[in-house]
Amino acid sequence: MFDFLFGLEAKRRGLSTKVPKGPLKNFLSVPFPEPNTPISEVPMLALDFETSGFNATTDHLLSIGHVEINQLSIKLASAEHYLLKSGIERAGDNVAIHQITELESQQGLSLENAIERLLNAMAGKVILVHYAKIEQTFLAAACKALYGYAPVFPIIDSLVVAKNRLDQRQAAYDPSNLRLTNLRDSYQLPAHYAHNALNDAVATGELLLAEIAHHHSRQKPLKHFLR
Amino acid sequence: MDNELSEIYAFIGSIAPFEELPEQTIVKLVSKIDICYLKQGQQLPPAQIEEGCFYIVRKGALSYVNQLQELIGKYGEGDICTVFCYPEKYADIQVVCDEDCLLYAVNKQQLLGCLIEYPVIISFFEQSAEERLKAKVSQIQDDAVVNSSLTNTAIDQLYQTPAATIDQGASISETAQKMTELGYSCLVVIDEDKNVKGIVTDKDFRRRCIAQGITPDNAISEIMTPDITMLDVRNTAFDALITMTSLHIHHLPITDQGRLAGMLTITDLMHYEGQNAINLTSLIHKATDVDELAEISKLIPKLQVKMARLGTPAEQAGKSISAITMAFTIRLIELAEILYGKAPVPFAWVAAGSQARQEQMAQSDQDNALIIDNSLQPEQAPWFERLAQFVCDGLAQCGFIYCPGDVMATNPKWRQNEDTWHHYFSQWIENPEPKALMHCSIFFDLTTIYGDKNLLNRVQARMLMRTQGASLFIAHMSKNALQHKPPLGFFRDFVLVSDGNNKKAMDLKHNGIAPIVDLARIYALQEGITSVNTIERLKQASGTRSLSKSSGANLIDAFEFLTTLRLNHQANQLQEGVKADNFLAPKEISRLEREHLKDAFKVVKTLQENRQAVY
Repeated sequence: MFDFLFGLEAKRRGLSTKVPKGPLKNFLSVPFPEPNTPISEVPMLALDFETSGFNATTDHLLSIGHVEINQLSIKLASAEHYLLKSGIERAGDNVAIHQITELESQQGLSLENAIERLLNAMAGKVILVHYAKIEQTFLAAACKALYGYAPVFPIIDSLVVAKNRLDQRQAAYDPSNLRLTNLRDSYQLPAHYAHNALNDAVATGELLLAEIAHHHSRQKPLKHFLR
Repeated sequence: MDNELSEIYAFIGSIAPFEELPEQTIVKLVSKIDICYLKQGQQLPPAQIEEGCFYIVRKGALSYVNQLQELIGKYGEGDICTVFCYPEKYADIQVVCDEDCLLYAVNKQQLLGCLIEYPVIISFFEQSAEERLKAKVSQIQDDAVVNSSLTNTAIDQLYQTPAATIDQGASISETAQKMTELGYSCLVVIDEDKNVKGIVTDKDFRRRCIAQGITPDNAISEIMTPDITMLDVRNTAFDALITMTSLHIHHLPITDQGRLAGMLTITDLMHYEGQNAINLTSLIHKATDVDELAEISKLIPKLQVKMARLGTPAEQAGKSISAITMAFTIRLIELAEILYGKAPVPFAWVAAGSQARQEQMAQSDQDNALIIDNSLQPEQAPWFERLAQFVCDGLAQCGFIYCPGDVMATNPKWRQNEDTWHHYFSQWIENPEPKALMHCSIFFDLTTIYGDKNLLNRVQARMLMRTQGASLFIAHMSKNALQHKPPLGFFRDFVLVSDGNNKKAMDLKHNGIAPIVDLARIYALQEGITSVNTIERLKQASGTRSLSKSSGANLIDAFEFLTTLRLNHQANQLQEGVKADNFLAPKEISRLEREHLKDAFKVVKTLQENRQAVY
């Protein structure tokens, strides 16, 4: 795990020399937080994507929500939520599920603008997601299409943080316990309206705060939380 | 895309002070929020926050603890902790998470910045529950003045014009003749040019003429009151009332552009108030049978509605209604004496409960008893039985329902001689078992309605001597009194009960007013206070070891607020022709009133908890 971040930092530096000028290069030029930083001092960005499906090559990004976490406080002033134009016509029924009307999606950003905005917000921060695979693969696919390279970035996956904790207990548990809603329930966090990227990002942030308050010290180094 | 944080907007928009805010202000306010999570047992503020912040409880519960580690308040979902924004008000208060908490922290300056256009909300934060209640109560009292019909009435609708006058040269006897002819108790004395020189009233004949030995042939100017106060016709009836009360006069000449225009008497003002307590009382005194009384009693609900609409404070309304009930009782006893002959021995007809405390409302139950002189012989007892039956039945006909607990003079147990009453009280105080305690809370609030006051005075004096030292008894009474709890949930939300019609409501009487009445009674018994009126008891107990001055003032505010709320609630019911009750549905009152109600309940709860701590 240690090597992962050191390795990640090395990868960042290596990659930043290869990547052409532009938003991805700018993102990669900002160092990642030090792996020994106490978790309470780590700047984070809680992030959530809403997509038309699980496959980054065939499905599409519908909306992006993110909010900063500093000093273990979720800063609603930094909350951002934006919709994408791309691929909306092929999204089918899922659009309804994600509560995005066609009109809204037409007013959305182009993939290029959206990813640029996202990379700007991500720079220098650890990315917090619940079940990182979606965000990782969709962001990688988008960046490859736009800039020719997929980015590297440090991730705290709140699902993995909870899973590691549950695995240590050596008691069997139902995998559905690891869903965002169920984990939040286990901390008596208020019910939240899922399937809105920003709501989910805030909900993920709250879950991590609860997780840290109950099971970890504020001083615990970042490296223990990274995926 | 404005609904991106819709849940948080909805939550913030649903909590008390923010309910009235427009959406864009809520959105702005939400953008100032930092979400924090604290574990049970952790103290506020969270480690990462240095500046003063408001903490809105999204989930969980907070406890306020003072220096002595005593719990002074609990706050739950939707409550706002202001402790760290007003440190001067909350010195030495610790705030601890009672449960795991999700908190919305908002920097003080930023929050107040969002609310710059809403000074009411800012002052909501700046005041404690007690202070908010105080402000509300004084507003009610101001309303009483503003809403009074006298304030809205010009003098010209009331005064008699032209004023009856007499020339200053007329003799005293001529003046007296003119007054008798006109049936007036007062004349304005004028000169040849009709300038006002003075005023002469019935009283002047007695005090200045006969008592001074002045002969009736002298000029009226010798006994008149010169330098009189007059009021211009463009003033309100309320100004006139103030002028008359402050100068202790009953007649006020009215001028129009400096010229005498008419006369206003205190009786004119009372007539205008219409079905007021004084009128009603005089009607009652003239009634010749029970049916007539029953007819008059139909005016009581109307009177109560009128008082509520005029903004009369509940204390005053309670006194008026109690006075009327007293008049009914007296008249019934007088009618009984006509029917059954004079009482064989002296007695006192005493009222208990709300009537004794002068806190009665229309349609309340009757609680009464008889204390009879010790010289009572067995063969004289039937007279009192007949009296009790007649009066209680009569009161029932007049709308005062029979006491469900049978606390009435018709019950032989409560129709006893003085010695038996002494015995009752000493037994109750020595053996405070549940039933005795119940009787105590009824019979400690007694007042003589008719008959020999000394009978009750002696019983009360001896009882108060006993209670002052009887700490075990007081402890039992306290425990008993604390059974009625304010309907506040653990987290300051209302606990509702069924109002009998399957609607959820708060029981204002049992959960708000009765607890204060009970507390006041205990203070009174402990301090040997003879008053039975709750506000009077609290006033007298304030500053004693039983009750601090500030707590006393808070309780009085809470009592005034709750009783006024009930008065208005019942006025609405009476006006709709529904039977008046004590069940208030939260939606009957405005949001702000709901907050004030919570504040009032909080005051009661705090004082109850203090009481519990003592015993």
